[in-house]
Formats: sequence, C-alpha cells, structure tokens
Amino acid sequence: MPRSEMVAGDGRSQSFAARLKSDWHMGDRSRLAQLLILVLIVVAAAMFSTSIMTGAADASLGNVLRWLIGMEGAGQALSVRDRIIILDIRLPRAVLGLMVGASLAVSGAVMQGLFRNPLADPGLVGVSSGASLGAVLLIVLGSSFFGPLFTIFGFYALPIAAFIGGLITTLLLYKIATRSGQTSVATMLLAGIALGALAGAVTGVLIFMADDKQLRDLTFWGLGSLAGANWMKILSAGPIILVSLAVVPFLARGLNALTLGEAAAFHMGIPVQRLKNIAIVSVAASTGASVAVSGGIGFVGIVVPHVLRMLIGPDHRYLLPASALLGGTLLIFADMIARTIVPPAELPIGIITAFAGAPFFLWILLRGRSHMGL
Amino acid sequence: MIKATNLSVRLSGTQVLHGVSIEAAAGQLTAIVGPNGSGKTTSLKAIAGELPYDGTVSINGHNIATLKPWELALKRAVLPQSTVISFPFTVREIVRMGLSVGAKADAADTDRIARDALEAVDLSGFAGRFYQELSGGEQQRVQLARALCQIWEPVQHGESAFLLLDEPVSSLDIRHQLTIMRLAKNFCERGGGVIAIMHDLNLTAMFADRMIMMKAGRVHATGHPNEVMTNAVMEAVFGCAMRVNATPAGNVPFVLPHTAA
Repeated sequence: MPRSEMVAGDGRSQSFAARLKSDWHMGDRSRLAQLLILVLIVVAAAMFSTSIMTGAADASLGNVLRWLIGMEGAGQALSVRDRIIILDIRLPRAVLGLMVGASLAVSGAVMQGLFRNPLADPGLVGVSSGASLGAVLLIVLGSSFFGPLFTIFGFYALPIAAFIGGLITTLLLYKIATRSGQTSVATMLLAGIALGALAGAVTGVLIFMADDKQLRDLTFWGLGSLAGANWMKILSAGPIILVSLAVVPFLARGLNALTLGEAAAFHMGIPVQRLKNIAIVSVAASTGASVAVSGGIGFVGIVVPHVLRMLIGPDHRYLLPASALLGGTLLIFADMIARTIVPPAELPIGIITAFAGAPFFLWILLRGRSHMGL
Repeated sequence: MIKATNLSVRLSGTQVLHGVSIEAAAGQLTAIVGPNGSGKTTSLKAIAGELPYDGTVSINGHNIATLKPWELALKRAVLPQSTVISFPFTVREIVRMGLSVGAKADAADTDRIARDALEAVDLSGFAGRFYQELSGGEQQRVQLARALCQIWEPVQHGESAFLLLDEPVSSLDIRHQLTIMRLAKNFCERGGGVIAIMHDLNLTAMFADRMIMMKAGRVHATGHPNEVMTNAVMEAVFGCAMRVNATPAGNVPFVLPHTAA
C-alpha cells in the first residue's frame, strides 16, 4: 500500500493542505526561544554594567571603560579609591550575582525536569538546608575533625562540604519520593520538608556547640547575601558552578524525554540511570557551591524556570540557557535593590527574593493545581 | 524477528510470568490477548527491556541485554498505555521527541517525518495544541505518532524495526480504531513487525496475523486467529461460554458478547 493510502482522508483540497502546513508550525516555539535568549543576553549585559555603575561612589561606565583600555582623558581619570571600589567590590559582586543566580535557576530547572514536576526546587525540598548543614559542619567541627580536608582542598573545602551535604539530601529525597520510576509529588514535598527540618535541627545543634570565633564565621557566612563577595569566593565556587552549568546542556534532550516518564525515556534511547546520576550530582554541586558563597537564596530556582516555560515552553534545550541568563540577571537586580533600598545599610538579598518569589509561588499553585498532580 | 524465550518475571514478590515464550516475525501483526492480569503488559515490558526478567529476549538475533538504550531505540519503539505529563509541551514538540533518537537526516526531512506521522494518526492541525489539553484518545494518538517517528522506516539497514503497542486502540472511537489498526498493518506490510496488546477480540481477528492467548502468566494458545479463537479457548481463558462465529466472506472469526452464557 503506498503511504498516501494509510493517511485518513487523502482527498482533501490543496488549500486545506496549505493550512495544515501552517498549523504544523504553530506548535513550534524554537524561533521564539532563540530570540528570547538573544534578548536575555543583552539584558544580562546591561544589568551587569548597571550594577557596576550603581552605588555611592561615582564611576560612570564611560570612565571605567576608558580606564580599562588605558585611554583616560584629562579630568576623567578614576581615583584609586574608585578603582578599588569597582575592581574589588562591585565587579566581584556582580560576577558572583550572575554565577549564583544562574546556578540557582538552572539547578531549579534541572531538578524540576528530574522530578518531572514544576514544584521541585533545591531551596524548597531541603537540598539547600542539607548544603548549609555541610558547610556549618565544616566551620564548627572543621579544625578538630576535618583538618586534613582544609589542607587538601584549601578554600574549596567549604563549597565541597556544602556539595556533599546537598548531594546526600538529593539522593535521599530521590530514593524516598521515587518508586519504580514514578515520582510522587506529595511525598517529594513532604519528605523535602522533613529533610530540611532535620538538617536545620542538626545545624542548630552545631551552632549551639560553636565557640565565639566560629559563631562569627557562621554569621558572616549565613547572611544569605552577596555582601561578602570577593575574588576569593569566586575562585572557590566559580569552577564548580561553571562545570555544572557546562554539563547540564547535555542533559537537555534526556530531560525532555523524561517528561514522558522514565520508561518512555528509556524506550526513546536515553540512558536513564546515567541521566539521573549526572542531574543529581550537578544539582547538588551547583546548589552546594551557591550556598557556600551566598547562603540560602530562595525562590529563584522556582520562579525563573516557571516564567520561562510560560514564555517559550518547557523544551530544556532552550529552558536551561534562558534560565541561566534570567536567573543571573534577576539576582544582580535583586542585589542592587538590596544594597540601595535602605542606605547605608544592606538588606540580605534572600529577603528581596522571598518578598518577590513567595507570592509568585502561591500564584503558580493556585493557577496550575490541575496540571501539577496536586 | 523478536524472540522472547522462557520469560519469568517477579513483581514485588509475586511471580507474574511463568516461562513465557513469544515470537513475533517481521511483516506480521502479532496480537497478545488475554484477561486482565494475565501478564500481557508485563511480557511487553520485558520485551521492551524496561524491567528485569529471567530468560532471553532478542531482536533480529541481538540479545537486548547487550544493546545500549540508543541501539534498542533504533530497533523498536514502544507505545505505553497512557502518558501523563506535567510540563506544557505542544503536540509538535512531543512528536518531535521521537525524532531526536535516530536523528540523522537534515532538519527539513525530520520535520516532514514528524508532520507525516501526525497526519498518519489523523491529528493534522493539532501541532500547536497543548498535549495536556487533549482527550485521552488524542493523547494516545500523539504518543503513537511520537513512537512512529522513532522508527519511521520499517526496515533500516536491512533490519526490520518493531512497534510494541500496549492497547493502542483502548481509548479510541471506532473510526480511529480502524485508522490505527490499518496503520499498524501497513507498517507490517512495509517490512516492519508489530506486537500489540489487544482487548477487542473482533479487531484482533480482523487484523492479527498471529494471536498469542495468555492466561495467568502463561501462554495458553498461539496461532492464526482462526485457530485460536474457538469456543473452547474462549471458555478456558475468559471463563465465559461464548459462541465464536465467522463472517461469510473472509471467514474472519467474530464473537458477540450477547452469546455469553
């Protein structure tokens, strides 16, 4: 039988066929997604520059650029103080904001793909708490128990401890919430609350045990802000975050297939177990590194991928890079608000993201209950 | 040819398959029939390679345990009973997922395959619709189009590809039941093979080249529908006495529920 015969109703008119062709392209959001990514690149660059120029000291972009390429005119020279402010305070802060924001948003998107649910987020389901526990363990028991760790890993020790804490939490959560390839959303969220509370309790005990110097370290670390950004922090967390960000695009097709279920993804040729392993490790690594340098910053991982899915659809090939860009941009923006809203003091950035993110999260819940298996 | 030999499967402590052997030749539509819980879906899942089993399964002589997921994906595609998703993919995006496996041809070509697959399941014009907003029967046909894309050529490099269908027409109206069964038959005529789990005995009699009747985790009878669909087999397998008749022209057996004792 020729192929045309297996198609129902082949006697249709040419104009109808032409309409079918256009209908076919209606489901195509890839052009839109590519366009949005280009726009996001521009917006991220603009936000980055604005953030470097914003603050008490006056340093216009023009002056900064001229100084960087060594073409300062008379009267445009930056003072030493301005150079220090820009190079050692604002620039690392913007870079850290971009990296942490990208990492939070991408780990949210990957975790949602892994659990096949738009409500999974490292901050929400206890992974960040687990990472915090890892970091606090290191700070409080560090000298006595983990001395060798410091000598081996140097300033990477804190992100690595947070990574291990996050990894253990993610693995536990996956084991508890997933049975024979099916993830229960209710179990995932409730188990996440329990794991988060448990990690929080242990963290509390450790803080109780801490001496004065350790308490000061903890307070500095746990502010949940980008305030302490410096090049050292970027060097310690940056490589981990960048490696995770570089790996996840290779998971995109697998995560798309996983939307149809683990069995279906396997039928389509995806090595499901390997996909899950890489996804879990990369989520734990980037969450751990972010927590290690900036404390817990909530809601970026849930709001950013959700907004993008509404705009360009859930295709991870576009969702992941777009999440990185939008997450970085939003975190730099939130940080600008945090440091300018109550001068000369600073609000922890976690407060800003919670104020914006929590109501948005409630709105997602109310709007999409039927689609999320709740 | 798909050859499953002596399959035994335990699911959470209960033995659900007891040494099942199934053969499905290329060019033939093999239907697996039997009461609820007789092990039809479990057999298909073992053949698809998605659950652990004792015994061997081979496709075209390759033991599937030695094949990588992507190699298997080029030899067989699977239509599950139902697929629920929690992200707002469009129909077009779902169908194109089937393509990403064997993606070799140029973009325009893959696009044409995806569009033709959607047309083959009578869903032209649905490309821009959201999968989650379709009816169960429409979703099932989208998934079939997705599976078709994966092995669009029934014969690749001289090897036959196989469609494994778990109740492909269970939630379809009668017109689309016929559309899909003809599509499966057409796939066989072009050199591929089909294993389909069926509940409708009359559609099975119309379209199946071979029928495997299962009961309680074992194969009860195998053969052409004319041989398998007999009063005795019906009563032994389904536990209700029914008269099997035959249509005058093609001598195709049929059974009416009205005749049940």
